[in-house]
Amino acid sequence: MDAATKTNRVMERKPKNIFVQGAIAPAFIADSIAKHSSKTTIGGHNIFLGQVRADLIDEKKVAAIEYTTYEELALEKMHVIRQEIFAKYELTCMHVHHSLGTVAAGEICLFVFTSSAHRRAAIDACNEAVERIKTELPVWGKELFEDASHQWKVNQ
Amino acid sequence: MITVLFFGKLAEIAGAKTELPHVASTDELLQQLRTSFPLLAAEKFIVAVDKKTITENTLLTDNCTVALLPPFSGG
Repeated sequence: MDAATKTNRVMERKPKNIFVQGAIAPAFIADSIAKHSSKTTIGGHNIFLGQVRADLIDEKKVAAIEYTTYEELALEKMHVIRQEIFAKYELTCMHVHHSLGTVAAGEICLFVFTSSAHRRAAIDACNEAVERIKTELPVWGKELFEDASHQWKVNQ
Repeated sequence: MITVLFFGKLAEIAGAKTELPHVASTDELLQQLRTSFPLLAAEKFIVAVDKKTITENTLLTDNCTVALLPPFSGG
């Protein structure tokens, strides 16, 4: 095996880090879109943005969500999800960013971005990625109320 | 030594991490943990041994890492 093949194999195996500390800034999302202007085989993008909702629970309002993860397992799992989605859909690229730590109500906590030559693949792949991220990644959200009490988030 | 990791709500009950010597299986481990942390009995979780989720009793070897994972709520 030559050096280049070895390097490629290592890169294939190494899971990308999807986690960012705190909220995902709108400027980061804009920049991420802009970076695709040189990839002219792309004909469609699909973006999902998860935003922290100020739910009212027993008359207490959610002020923020604090996210924690089992990072090693989550990154391995995301790597498998990524490979399976690329095998299933004709995608040009996919980018996933998930917050850790505290994200205030109204801020972005999940950014999934898929691109393909024709729109259908990007839309379907993005939907599937979001569903799988929510059900399969070991990430936990703690809903922090305005009065400093908390409860553990339950995904619907 | 077996390392046990707790996440989400379970970490509030048992702390983030504990180490236990000489535990033969996951059933034995869970029994010990429920004795030490009675509140765990009411909680739903799945178990991962060395990052592989398991569905039945699993033998443990020295230096194993066992993780207790409550229902996921990311995104």
